[in-house]
Amino acid sequence: MTLLMTASEINGLPVVTVHGGEDVAEVRDVLYDPAAGRLVGLTLNKRGFLAGRCREVLPAESIHAIGRDAVMVVDDSAMVEPDAAPQEMAHPPANRNVLGNDVLTESGVSLGTVRDLVVVVGGAGEVVGYRIDKADGRPGYIPLPAQLAVSGSALVVPEVTESFVTDDLVGLGAAVDSFRARLGLP
Amino acid sequence: MSVVAWLIVAVVVIVVALVAFVVIRRRSRRGGVIATPSRKGTPGATGRTTGDPKP
Repeated sequence: MTLLMTASEINGLPVVTVHGGEDVAEVRDVLYDPAAGRLVGLTLNKRGFLAGRCREVLPAESIHAIGRDAVMVVDDSAMVEPDAAPQEMAHPPANRNVLGNDVLTESGVSLGTVRDLVVVVGGAGEVVGYRIDKADGRPGYIPLPAQLAVSGSALVVPEVTESFVTDDLVGLGAAVDSFRARLGLP
Repeated sequence: MSVVAWLIVAVVVIVVALVAFVVIRRRSRRGGVIATPSRKGTPGATGRTTGDPKP
């Protein structure tokens, strides 16, 4: 079953083992590859009200499932030391948090600010779009792949993206398909 | 000041410090959404970084 979730819904979810049902960690950061449009993995917090950051990370390949109420892993060996993790998530760059970034078109028009990332869970963790706060304050969604560049402060998107901003998640599904067709992507 | 007054001040200071500790600790647990650099070594769908000239 596939399910659309936002990254903020994944943040804070418990990480639970399928074998044993142990609650081993809690999701801290969602890491994604904007070029590939997929989840790379998750960084973790230790369990407990005041517990700190977990050293181990959870690569996307080791995730059994992401559900509405928990992230499932087969067992706690799914969490790996940073040195054993894929290179891009071993030391996640703290200055590349996209939440709060301005979304700018190539011509310099601001479409709003990034509020969230929309992910299809239940499969390979495909990232399909961003939830933004539009300039007028209302929420909107833009399809991905849309950005030309990501920095610590802005996403730069093609001019055409402006016409694919939708008001809800239902509209985003259709917008992703037509947007990709327009860009000639599979 | 009486002993009782000093005790009240001490309790207030301890409570404020505890609340500040909990708030800071909880905030430090808050995560984000991080765009990783692509495996090709350049971020973004077309491999351009912000500020790069158009091809």
